[in-house]
Amino acid sequence: MENQLSEKESLELIGQMINTAKNNLQKGTGKIILLWGYIAAGISFFTWLLYEFLPKDIRYDAFFLWFLMAAGYPFHYMLVKRIEREKLVKTYIEGLMNRVWIGFTISILVIVLGMLIDTLLVLKFSGSVARPPNVPVRMFEFIHYFHWLLLTPFILCLYGFALFVSGKAYDFKPLSIGGLFCFTASFFLLFSLHKTGVYGLQMFTLFISAVAGFVIPGHMLNWKEHKDV
Amino acid sequence: MFKDLDPLLHSQLRLAVMSILISTEEADFVFIREKTGSTAGNLSVQIDKLREAGYISVVKSFRGKMPRTTCRITPAGISAFEKYVDALGGYLRPK
Repeated sequence: MENQLSEKESLELIGQMINTAKNNLQKGTGKIILLWGYIAAGISFFTWLLYEFLPKDIRYDAFFLWFLMAAGYPFHYMLVKRIEREKLVKTYIEGLMNRVWIGFTISILVIVLGMLIDTLLVLKFSGSVARPPNVPVRMFEFIHYFHWLLLTPFILCLYGFALFVSGKAYDFKPLSIGGLFCFTASFFLLFSLHKTGVYGLQMFTLFISAVAGFVIPGHMLNWKEHKDV
Repeated sequence: MFKDLDPLLHSQLRLAVMSILISTEEADFVFIREKTGSTAGNLSVQIDKLREAGYISVVKSFRGKMPRTTCRITPAGISAFEKYVDALGGYLRPK
């Protein structure tokens, strides 16, 4: 094909080709979103259930369910390997978005592990809270009360950030809307810190957000992939 | 006339290939064929011309037992593409 083009046709062709390639979503991305969506939704739902129905002295143990998140990584790795094997194009946006999600994961790990280590050091594995003598009692209680209470709103905000940016970059609205939902949920939880039974409310909100931000967009993306094939 | 326009890029299929490669890190032959709607034979010939000019690099490998051809734009290709777009702009700018 040696078709000669006019200047206008050339520019149109360049624009058309760039647009068709630049935000190409890899086949199988929907499955990764679904994997993490269902894991986060399942864990937050069961944490909420246990928190609400376990006796009060052991209800906080329900939060150890979150360690199950680690079980998702082998499946994530398998899905990524399959995508790598089958993919036909590598875009700059894709490289950038991978880094955004790696940054998102590192942010969550830093926050959770930092808080966990701090709490364990404070409790000194003995169950009794040791207050450093230079820290006033009220300040000490305040820090350790809000410390964990702020975790879910922070994580929801990070969910919102990663989803919103991905949705905009790939031009896939359900992801951006999911991100906006997570931002709103985070905002709502920050206003609900004073409520009684707030941890239950947080887990239930996280469950709804995982469904809105990951599960629904993941299924829509899967459906779009099947339709496009 | 188009005297300032690189004749190698001023053809529909080669320009389409370069436009895809400028917006991606690398692209498979099958992807380029699907996006440009060309035939495998014609695309192969045009890719070879771009490779000979040093505008793109082509790597042949295997995905399982299937042969795979991956194309990537080179710095010389980026420079040529930028010059082409710049020259194109000259024609379209009001005098």
